[in-house]
Amino acid sequence: MSGRSSAVTEPVALAGDEAVVVRDLHRSFGGREVLRGIDLTIGRGQFVALLGRSGSGKSTILRALAGLDDGVQGELLVPERRAVVFQDPRLLPWADVIANVVLGQRGRDARARGLEALGEVGLDGHERDWPKTLSGGEAQRVALARALVRKPDLLLLDEPFGALDALTRIRMHALVAKLCARHHPAVLLVTHDVDEAILLADRVLVLTDGRISLDTPVAQDLDRGDPRFAELRSVLLAEIGVVESIDDGPVDDEPPSDAYRSAPAPVEAVPSALGAVSFVSASIVPSATSKEHQR
Amino acid sequence: MSLHQDTTFVARLSGPDPTPPSPAGSGPGLVRLPTGAADTGAARRRRLPRGTARLGGILLFFGLWEIAALVGWLKPQDLAAPSVIFTTGIDMLRSGALESAIWVSLQRVLWGLVIGVPVGLALALAAGLTRTGENLIDGNVQMLRFVPVIGLESLFILWLGVGETAKVSLIVLGVTFPVYINVFTAIRSMDPGLHELADVVGLSRSERIRRIVLPGVLPAFFMGLRIAVAVAWLILVFVEQINASNGLGYLIIQAQTFFESSVIVVALVTYALMGLVSEGLVRLAERRVLRWQPGR
Repeated sequence: MSGRSSAVTEPVALAGDEAVVVRDLHRSFGGREVLRGIDLTIGRGQFVALLGRSGSGKSTILRALAGLDDGVQGELLVPERRAVVFQDPRLLPWADVIANVVLGQRGRDARARGLEALGEVGLDGHERDWPKTLSGGEAQRVALARALVRKPDLLLLDEPFGALDALTRIRMHALVAKLCARHHPAVLLVTHDVDEAILLADRVLVLTDGRISLDTPVAQDLDRGDPRFAELRSVLLAEIGVVESIDDGPVDDEPPSDAYRSAPAPVEAVPSALGAVSFVSASIVPSATSKEHQR
Repeated sequence: MSLHQDTTFVARLSGPDPTPPSPAGSGPGLVRLPTGAADTGAARRRRLPRGTARLGGILLFFGLWEIAALVGWLKPQDLAAPSVIFTTGIDMLRSGALESAIWVSLQRVLWGLVIGVPVGLALALAAGLTRTGENLIDGNVQMLRFVPVIGLESLFILWLGVGETAKVSLIVLGVTFPVYINVFTAIRSMDPGLHELADVVGLSRSERIRRIVLPGVLPAFFMGLRIAVAVAWLILVFVEQINASNGLGYLIIQAQTFFESSVIVVALVTYALMGLVSEGLVRLAERRVLRWQPGR
């Protein structure tokens, strides 16, 4: 506990616009090195998607940024106000919806802010419901409201749509895009869904064998019909290694184009990532949110 | 009727299909599924309602018992007829003998629960929430719980005499274990995701206990409480028959001396009813407290 707090909660003055600064982050589990030197900077208000195969260490990074893992080594600077949405909603079943939203929130206006957050996720009138009476999508929206009510500077999304059905997932994408555009937190979205990453994020990272192997900005206004969408999609799929696993499939036979590849050594990829940070406020936002996001 | 349905069934299977079912041996064979059974709803209506049917079985049991007593297969000193037991019960109620015995026995159980349940709960929380508590308590409890509580009766009489204290103490001891085991196990097997959540939303230690741990172990607590209530009655029956000068068990011992089998049965039925009622009360409380659980 004390080791974690010294690393994470100590206030550090940062010069620039960073919401997250990670330097040389390592993590081993039982001798197996899962993170092998992660360097990552996320700008304020930037929406970053982190892709990777299962077991690549995506969630390990997210848990480290959430302050849930004091076994990591390296430097870790994060905002004080952070919120996490997990893959499962993690609602307390014995507390009604509003109590779940304001869990841990103090102050007289907590309830009012909780109701406002519930309204933002479209769950007006559900504040007295028991979590077990909610559908999966509703429960996840409550979890989103619980994150929003904290007014986070860093929002950590750990495959939050992974357990939802396809239609609900599409609706949740739009909702998350809208809310992030309105509140403008820095976001780290851990996902294995390449389309989701392209649609939502300003910048996509691919984690391979414990290192960031690809760090690319996502152009504005990319929708599924755009040829650049397809191109980026196949680049990302190739980077994740989908080609290797489906060798007889028609997917992504062309090698990834170098335009998207960061420098060969992952550590050197970070300066380019930093470049992307300052770049992002100028042009790189997901299509769904482009208008509000800019203002 | 059934023939008609059969033909439509076959027609539906083979009609629109351009290739009729091939004769056996030349391809995958078809089997004819049974059809044309009577409408199950109508059949159910013709049968007796389930409750009535079950009651019939019980009435048959008592009827045979009554007949066996009437004919003389059952001797009254072995087992009285249901009608005799019933009138005995009424008489005991009228004289107040049953009521006072019930009250005495009920007090023993209630004291046992009132002391034992909080003790079990407090021990479980102390052991579940602190390392020191676990080191001091859990090993000892796990060791002691294999000692048969009823076997401690003699020691308790040695220490505390034959009065109420020894009886209540034995019930307290018996009640403590199920509450402790259930609550302690629940604390230790709580969803680690909820503890992560508590970390993420920044709950203090006391908030974590109040908002997450305590409500989280309530279902297990009620499970332990139900077992505790059953155990309390069981130990009561035992201690009251070892030595007692009043209570339901005393009635049984006395009746045994005077070959009054009907009184014994009345006392046993009373035990059963009180066990049933107390179990029902616990379930009622559980349903109210755990109303967030689906299906309650």
